Amino acid sequence: MNEKILDVKNLTKSFDTKIVLDNLSFEVKKGVVFGLLGPNGAGKTTIIRIILDIIRADHGEIKIFGEKFDENLKEKIGYLPEERGLYQKITVLECLKYFAELKNVKKSEDKIDFWLDKVGLRDYKRKKIEGLSKGMQQKIQLVAAFIHSPELLILDEPFSGLDPINTKMVKDILLDLKREGKTIILSTHQMDQVERTCDRILMINRGKRVLYGSLDEIKSNYKESLVVEYEGDLGRIEGVKKINDYGKYAELSLEEDTDPQEILKRLIEIVGVRRFEMKAPSLNEIFIEVVENA
Amino acid sequence: MRKTFIVAKHEFLATVKTKGFIFSLILPLLILLLMVFAMGFIPQMTSETPHNIGFVDETGMLQTSENFIKFGDFGNAKKALLENEINSFFVLPANYFETGKISVYSKGGFFSSRPTSSIEAFLMDNLLRESNLDETLKERIKEPANEEVITLNEKGEVEEKSGVGFLIPYALGILLMIAIMSSSQYLMQGIVAEKENKTVEILLSSLSANELLSGKILGFGSAGLLQVLVWICSVGIILFLSPFASLFQGIQISWILILAIVYFILGYLLFAGSMACVAAPASTVRDAQQGAMIFTMLAILPMILLSIIVKAPNSVIAKVLTYIPYTTSVTTLMRIALVEVPIYEIAASLSILVISVLIMTKLSAKIFRTGILMYGKKMKMKDIFRYLRE
Repeated sequence: MNEKILDVKNLTKSFDTKIVLDNLSFEVKKGVVFGLLGPNGAGKTTIIRIILDIIRADHGEIKIFGEKFDENLKEKIGYLPEERGLYQKITVLECLKYFAELKNVKKSEDKIDFWLDKVGLRDYKRKKIEGLSKGMQQKIQLVAAFIHSPELLILDEPFSGLDPINTKMVKDILLDLKREGKTIILSTHQMDQVERTCDRILMINRGKRVLYGSLDEIKSNYKESLVVEYEGDLGRIEGVKKINDYGKYAELSLEEDTDPQEILKRLIEIVGVRRFEMKAPSLNEIFIEVVENA
Repeated sequence: MRKTFIVAKHEFLATVKTKGFIFSLILPLLILLLMVFAMGFIPQMTSETPHNIGFVDETGMLQTSENFIKFGDFGNAKKALLENEINSFFVLPANYFETGKISVYSKGGFFSSRPTSSIEAFLMDNLLRESNLDETLKERIKEPANEEVITLNEKGEVEEKSGVGFLIPYALGILLMIAIMSSSQYLMQGIVAEKENKTVEILLSSLSANELLSGKILGFGSAGLLQVLVWICSVGIILFLSPFASLFQGIQISWILILAIVYFILGYLLFAGSMACVAAPASTVRDAQQGAMIFTMLAILPMILLSIIVKAPNSVIAKVLTYIPYTTSVTTLMRIALVEVPIYEIAASLSILVISVLIMTKLSAKIFRTGILMYGKKMKMKDIFRYLRE
């Protein structure tokens, strides 16, 4: 399990005068779900495109499966891009057969049937893509990424556009693939999904690495936060550095010397407290803090 | 290479199955069939019926013939016309010899024809009868030139060409231009469509940009070649079976056809590369078409200057167009069909084309690779130079 699937060293890329990736290094080991995080425009898609040799880096070195990039390695990688679409005028079968053929899949129709069954779209096999809903098309795109049983899956926002049932279905498929020893790189803004699914994460901001490691390691570097469920109007509270308020639920970051008991007393005076809990900060809080403080 | 063929097969099948492509195969053939029908049968349908022409002669010169009916006055002739006994009539006024003027009366309508040539022949017969000229001279006046056009090559030798040989350069030029332009237009639309439906990044995760571009060029080019071959074969069969088959006998077109295919392939590769350069960075088909305007103009330039090329195939303009990569395919082929073009000129034209294709292939591969993932940005010249540096 310690086999390195991806080893990125000192990756740098600029467009015109804008530095998009700045001396970025990380590695992904076999069989892990690796979260690639960052705000919009941070450089996530650029990293993925460089890994797949769609664009070239200015400097740095990438090794995939222990080798320098080679076109044949593309057959071991499944990719769901963020900017995605399908041929609208052909059938699901024709479209998937074309993608499978490009990945050198033999007897592709059996595999197409297997995956269409798995995502519940077997009955749509001979339907034209243009007749499918957005969610269904999203699942067809995922099938296109899985069809050749890749060793490494790179999925850019795989849950966007899916309802909760389909989100669960995709998450279950990803976990099954992980159990089979596949490596998954997940680029998403859905922090709750990352928190529940990813073993390790890399967070980048403005092309630089800002967080890197396992979730536990990262969270241990941040102070516990207060979670409050309440009724009323929270307003400003003395001793609280920052409030992430959702209306009935809030995450509070306390100032250095503040006693949580004091905060509880103050809260009881101004709102009806239904839950009060000290917990490790969520990835969402960490993400916001890191990006805002950058 | 395997992936290039997979892409080529996909694009070829996707193109030839479209209604637009099938329509483009059938429509020119329907037009040709219609033209053959029109040239073969309409003259018979609209031919004049001389026995239905009446005349009122105020000079007393005309003699009734079996085809022309004499009327004593204008009123009777008019009555006969209105009652459809005759199709038309003419009045030869008393001062005809001084003025040469006659009045021709006919009923209007879509299918009515003016019997001018029949009347002229009838008047000529009567005028010559009145003269004292020798019979042989009379025949020569009736038919002064029974032409046989003989073309000489640069060495002064007689070139054997059929009477309709002049049609070949027009047909070849137009066919070649349409085939090159339609194939490269298909390519351009195919590239932009893949950008618009956002499948391009999925494809690039399976094969390289070069393989994708080569596959597309091969696929759309094969569709274009199929179009040319279907047109040429169908035109050949239609003309062979038509009443004009004898007119085309003796035309040596086999080597022109081989050259036509070579020029199609090279010309297509050049235009395809150029179209890929403008299509890859474009976000919509409209943007790409704006960028492709300059190439489209260059492609149709030989057709705009067609009359000059046909009239003077060795003129400076025709020679200059022979040495411009974008115009050489159509121009050289038209010139070859018209005159004996020196081998060194054909060799120079082909060399220029091959070099241009090689340069354009490199250029388009670079621009395609970078431009294909560019969304929502208008292409500028400085961007192109940047792609070339990357």
